[in-house]
Amino acid sequence: MKSGISIFIATLVALGASWCGFVLAPTLQLGGAKQTVVLQSTDNWPLQRTGAATLGLQVYRAYGCAACHTEQVRQDGAAFEVTLTDLGTHKPDEFTAFAKSLFVLPELADYTNAMSDNLKGWNGGVPKALLVCTDKDIASEMGDRLKAAGVNSETRIVATGPDITRGWGSRLSVAADYLYDQPVQLGSLRAGPDLANIGVRAPDARWQLQHLYAPKSITPGSTMPSFKFLFEVRPKINGEASPEALTLPKEFAAEAGYEVVPKPEAKELAAYLLSLKANVPLYEAPFTPLAATK
Amino acid sequence: MSDETKACSLPTTGEPTATRSAAPMWIIVTTLLLLFLGGYYFDLHGGWFNAKVYSPYYSAEKLDAYQPQSGAAAALARGKRTYEAVCGICHGTDGLGKPGQAPPLAGSEMVNCAGVNRLIHIPLAGLNGPIRVKGQDWGLAMAAMGAALPDEDLAATLTYIRSSWGNNAGPVTGDDVKKVRAGLGASPQPMSGLQLLKMPE
Repeated sequence: MKSGISIFIATLVALGASWCGFVLAPTLQLGGAKQTVVLQSTDNWPLQRTGAATLGLQVYRAYGCAACHTEQVRQDGAAFEVTLTDLGTHKPDEFTAFAKSLFVLPELADYTNAMSDNLKGWNGGVPKALLVCTDKDIASEMGDRLKAAGVNSETRIVATGPDITRGWGSRLSVAADYLYDQPVQLGSLRAGPDLANIGVRAPDARWQLQHLYAPKSITPGSTMPSFKFLFEVRPKINGEASPEALTLPKEFAAEAGYEVVPKPEAKELAAYLLSLKANVPLYEAPFTPLAATK
Repeated sequence: MSDETKACSLPTTGEPTATRSAAPMWIIVTTLLLLFLGGYYFDLHGGWFNAKVYSPYYSAEKLDAYQPQSGAAAALARGKRTYEAVCGICHGTDGLGKPGQAPPLAGSEMVNCAGVNRLIHIPLAGLNGPIRVKGQDWGLAMAAMGAALPDEDLAATLTYIRSSWGNNAGPVTGDDVKKVRAGLGASPQPMSGLQLLKMPE
């Protein structure tokens, strides 16, 4: 073993370099992360979970939910969207004709076409997205021209990408979203939908519980296994259903005189799912929330 | 393959030995080229290890370009930038002024009055001579610091001053500034505090 020292040093350098890259650098970069502030607001993000939701995270972990569900939304790009907020004195069809004359130069024909497509079959309701483009100048130019014509519009920043189109979130997931997750359960396989903002998509605890008990009662083709063991089927007391009992469709309901009530674990898991709401704009993940247009 | 040919392909000159020989030139060139391309790619996509920069933004500048800037918030941000570059050196970024240099803007009567006419005159024409701010007389001169600023920038700056550090007065519009600028003519003379007070608010 005449080159033992060299092999030892080479191994140390190789392992040390990967340790620095995978452990040290991320810890230095994000180890001291604190609550941040929601963009254009003084609200803190993320909020500490309630006790039940904190326990629910461990339930989520124990039953391996992360094996089939992710908690990370990906984003391909960001764009500026011009949204019509007030037509003023104009009529919808009159405006449609006017919109075609906004970009007359031939190199801007794509924008005119995109706008015409967006306005097809439009009944005059606002807010109405007119144009999505990645060019800030075009968007603000259009806002100016609309303003000159007496029409109010707003330039919104929107995230783009397949996950966003599916309605799984309004922006990419960032490190700040997972500040109170211990452990962080990003997931790597999507047998089911992403859950990063399931608390926004399905904000009803009863919906969550029914879905856990009998997924097919809500989504007929669902491949999610039923988590019946998180519920107790017990006889009704004096024929009265408990306030916590699930209201199930006939084919999923318990037999007559019995009711289905969630065990504490189920309630904790539902509380955790409701706490997943990555729907606020942050500095590192900017977008314009829809509420701003109202 | 027959046994015979297999035997033939074996080295016939004893044990193999490790020797030092120069790496082929093409490996060196390829490695350097890959390093260069890697560095170039990193420069474009790495965001320089900024914890706030995620794909698809790739750089702090690109991320800044996508920050919402609209309406009042954008005007205030613009006003803050201009204030800190132009006014903050003497009046302080906290608006408290500096003794012997500049009076405070926080809580100043001249800043917080309902009309904006007098206030706009100060950065456009400059000040010369005594002015009373919060019960204290200041006998200093101020150059026409705002004369070179575009109307909208000066308006945003004054709006920022009027709504920061506890000040709570209405916004200044670009049209207000334009009007005062037109009234002052091409080369305005610095005014004294007394002259200012004689003008309408």
